[in-house]
Amino acid sequence: MKATVLRAGVVVGLIAGAIAAAVVISRARFGSREGAISGVSAPTIRIAEHRQPRIDALNKSIPRIEKQLGVVIEVVEYPAPEKDYLSKLLTELGAGNAPDLFTANFDADVPDMVSAGYLAVITAEVKAWEGYEKLFEVAKKLSIGADGQIYALDSMLLVEQIYFRRDLLDKAGISTAQPANWKDLLDRAREIKAKTGKYGLLLPAGIGWGAGGFTEGFALFVAGSKTPQIANDDGTLNLNGEGVRDIFGLYKSLIDEDLMPIKPLLGPEPWVIPKYTMFPAGDLMATTCGTWCYIYDWGKDSKNPVPDVTKNVGTWAVPGMDGGSSVKISGSNIWAVNANSAHLNLTKKVLLALCSVDSTVAYAQLLGNIPARRDAADNKDFQAMTELVPVLKNVDNGTYLKSAPGFSVVSEGVARATEALLRKQTDAAGAQAILVKYVKDLLGDNAVK
Amino acid sequence: MAMTYETRMAWQNRMLLVPAMVLLGCFILIPAAAAIYISFTNAALNGFAASHPQFVGLKNYVRLFSDEGFWNSLIVTFYFVFGSSIVGQFVLGLASAIALSRPIAFKPVFNAAILLPNAVPEVVAGFIWISMLGGGKYSTLSRIVGLFGIAPQNWLESVPLLMIIVVNTWRGIAFAMILMTSGLSAVPAEVYEAARMDGATPSQIFWRITLPLLRPTIFLYMLVSTAGTIAIFGLIYTLTRGGPGGATEIIGIYIYNQSFTAYQLGYGSAVAVIVLGVSVAIGAIYARVLKVQV
Amino acid sequence: MTLRKFTRAEATAYGFLAVTLLFCLLPFIWVVLASVDPNASLFLSLPKGITADHFVKVFTANNGRRWFFNSLVTVGATTAVVVVVGGMGGYALSRTNAWWKSPFLYAIILVRVLPPTALIVPLYKFMLFANGLMGAVVRSVVPPDSARSAMQICGFVDGYLGLILVLSAMQLPLALWIIKTYFDLTPKDYEEAALMDGANGFQRMHRILVPLALPGLGAAGLLTFIGAWGDFLMPLTFISSAELQLLPIGLFRAFQRANTIDYGYLSALALLYMLPAVVAFGLARRFLIQTFTGGIKG
Repeated sequence: MKATVLRAGVVVGLIAGAIAAAVVISRARFGSREGAISGVSAPTIRIAEHRQPRIDALNKSIPRIEKQLGVVIEVVEYPAPEKDYLSKLLTELGAGNAPDLFTANFDADVPDMVSAGYLAVITAEVKAWEGYEKLFEVAKKLSIGADGQIYALDSMLLVEQIYFRRDLLDKAGISTAQPANWKDLLDRAREIKAKTGKYGLLLPAGIGWGAGGFTEGFALFVAGSKTPQIANDDGTLNLNGEGVRDIFGLYKSLIDEDLMPIKPLLGPEPWVIPKYTMFPAGDLMATTCGTWCYIYDWGKDSKNPVPDVTKNVGTWAVPGMDGGSSVKISGSNIWAVNANSAHLNLTKKVLLALCSVDSTVAYAQLLGNIPARRDAADNKDFQAMTELVPVLKNVDNGTYLKSAPGFSVVSEGVARATEALLRKQTDAAGAQAILVKYVKDLLGDNAVK
Repeated sequence: MAMTYETRMAWQNRMLLVPAMVLLGCFILIPAAAAIYISFTNAALNGFAASHPQFVGLKNYVRLFSDEGFWNSLIVTFYFVFGSSIVGQFVLGLASAIALSRPIAFKPVFNAAILLPNAVPEVVAGFIWISMLGGGKYSTLSRIVGLFGIAPQNWLESVPLLMIIVVNTWRGIAFAMILMTSGLSAVPAEVYEAARMDGATPSQIFWRITLPLLRPTIFLYMLVSTAGTIAIFGLIYTLTRGGPGGATEIIGIYIYNQSFTAYQLGYGSAVAVIVLGVSVAIGAIYARVLKVQV
Repeated sequence: MTLRKFTRAEATAYGFLAVTLLFCLLPFIWVVLASVDPNASLFLSLPKGITADHFVKVFTANNGRRWFFNSLVTVGATTAVVVVVGGMGGYALSRTNAWWKSPFLYAIILVRVLPPTALIVPLYKFMLFANGLMGAVVRSVVPPDSARSAMQICGFVDGYLGLILVLSAMQLPLALWIIKTYFDLTPKDYEEAALMDGANGFQRMHRILVPLALPGLGAAGLLTFIGAWGDFLMPLTFISSAELQLLPIGLFRAFQRANTIDYGYLSALALLYMLPAVVAFGLARRFLIQTFTGGIKG
């Protein structure tokens, strides 16, 4: 028996050795890119990015920036789903070996990263930058942290409203006028269900949707509710008000009356079926979304495009509860510098270069977001994107939600509360209680007003 | 020689064990103890607590008791362990062991087939079962049951818990079979002979003789298998990530999600401490049954 | 040829085994077919042609090769560490009669039942701490631009060293038990004879002991390899850089890119990933019985 084992061990060892050797040898043929620029080893700046379109947009800017600053840029691909992206990023930040430069995708995430000490201060560099004055007010406000310092720079803006199938509503004889208030919006959804049998309005919800449930769903209605802002100036969070309960009530009506799809929202990647399949197919008539949907979800870069998208998909601003309307603007592609980066100054310069007109327009082309700077309107490539031009002009009229430390907890709390609504386990007041309890549990009783 | 033979041997033995002790101590024992400490803090991956974790006493445990997610996970884990390990793997494993204890042709083939699910890495197992179960009417399972007239469905969404029980049963039959085979082989053939001569039917032989004689083996199997099933992570994570709305969030996945997806390291540790406690209890029973001796 | 009549018992046995065989093998059919199917999809279908392209791509496309290399290196090192450390420890445990033997064995059993998922958080914090220390040491010795590469090798988080140590610790209890049990069954005569002949120092002991212990060490080594090769949680938690990624995580992540999955490539990768584990399992089968029952008979 000894001999057999020995022989077997030798065989396995040889095979393993052969594979390893083959791997090592073939791997050696790939040199590294270091030193390609000036013969002397140029410093390497590592940037984290995820999702193919963003990586493509980033790659467009890289050659220019490398030449301009004399650095080598390495793009590290991170997992695509938002939650996984953040988990990995935060684990690495905690371990101190995160890339030099990365984005936070929702303004909800940044304040917590600041208070965790992960981000480097960039106030001086940003204020001295030529683009600072060209930023929209919103972008400036979103970039400034609670202590008045700037830790991250908002390079793009998400403009979110309600998108609907104008062609299909016209066909069914349903009015496409701007809904006047929440009741009107709900009635419209009910009408859609009654006349066409399809889902009337989707609001992102549930744990699987992650932060999107808050930023792309709940938060849109805050401005028009009885609680127009959640973050108070003293750092506490306004979660006990009627407004929050009313928004959950809106969700509850949509869910209980079967006006929005529920099953897909209970699984991972819940937006895939409703937004990429149901909406183009006409099984879902309206959903909250942002300008990126014109390009990425239903337009020229989509796998399932809606034909003639700018004509057939219209937008409504988000109605207020008792009237009025708002268009929510939030930050996106918020670049931040790792506080532990080995090349702080160079990384900050790369960051500013990525907020240039050319870079932001590249992202706009591939993702459909709006550049955060006014002068993007003068860029020829941007002007070619006719769907986005009018939106850029109107950015100053949008509303935005003040962000505060603890917002990531609020996001998760809203996700849990809406999950309970999705599973029909509670009512609006109950959902609010879930949210408040979660935030209190994690941030302390004093955090919630 | 300064030392006697005995002392030299004793010293050598101790030295030989030092590396093992260091590894086990650093990477298992200390973390186990640290879990208890961390569970009393509000350590987190993000937010203020990430850089300044604070001692919060029993707060995490209090939160545990009122957290639906925790109880849901416990219930899911219970069904999972009971269904796949106590029932599924055991029954199929025992039956296989009995079937293969007879003179049967192609024994190595059957043996290999039953062992294969256990031999493959977890991720691959999860991956191939996605093809079996996911995808609605195109999944292999849907096509098979279609032959029997059952409607095709997205199995991982409609009956997720049942599905992971099936998958884990599939994976663990080999373990049960091997243990039962060894247990069966300890039953002397004369016992069966005597029973047959007394006119016992096969069913009587099984229930009145085989099973009682197997009892110690079965008990040990249950212990080890339960402990092992509680520890499962990769298989289910690959398959469902914790399932639609937490329907398959076994305790291992729950801990991982709370710690790394919701960033609450302190809370995750509190759950972990409870799981550790249960495991230690199982281990203690196991050790006693084994009668660990010098 | 005479037809033998099957007894009812035999027929049930065959029937049951046949169904079980089908149940066990069915899921594999897809992955085997898809790996050679030029138009592989997630769903079981007969390939309309056979191609070896997917297997070739595993080794030529950048990532597959890197994953294999990383897995081989880390798991290979883990196996080596466990065999050496476990070999020494198992021998000591078997030969000693000291007061600490019983508690130590008891501790090993307890440790074996601890689920890694419960240890992961404090282990992560511990590794973070150790990583910080290692980082300080490395940065003071190595020029800044190669600090990152150095940390990839000796870092505790996101470094080979840390992962190897963690995997070794996870596999050690079982290895210790196997080797101890093996030595228990090995007569002490050879060692005593060697000692009588004046064998002092480890050299001669090892020339006798190691060949004696080879089957036990082999079993422990094979089982360690299988365990570490399939480990998913540890690489998931501790490795983030793409260059250091191991096979299970690579496979998992490739499967997550919802829009661009190449099922043929993934199936080929899965098969190749599976192969060493299955081979090792086959070799270790004999020892499996001993391991699984290991302890029932003491």
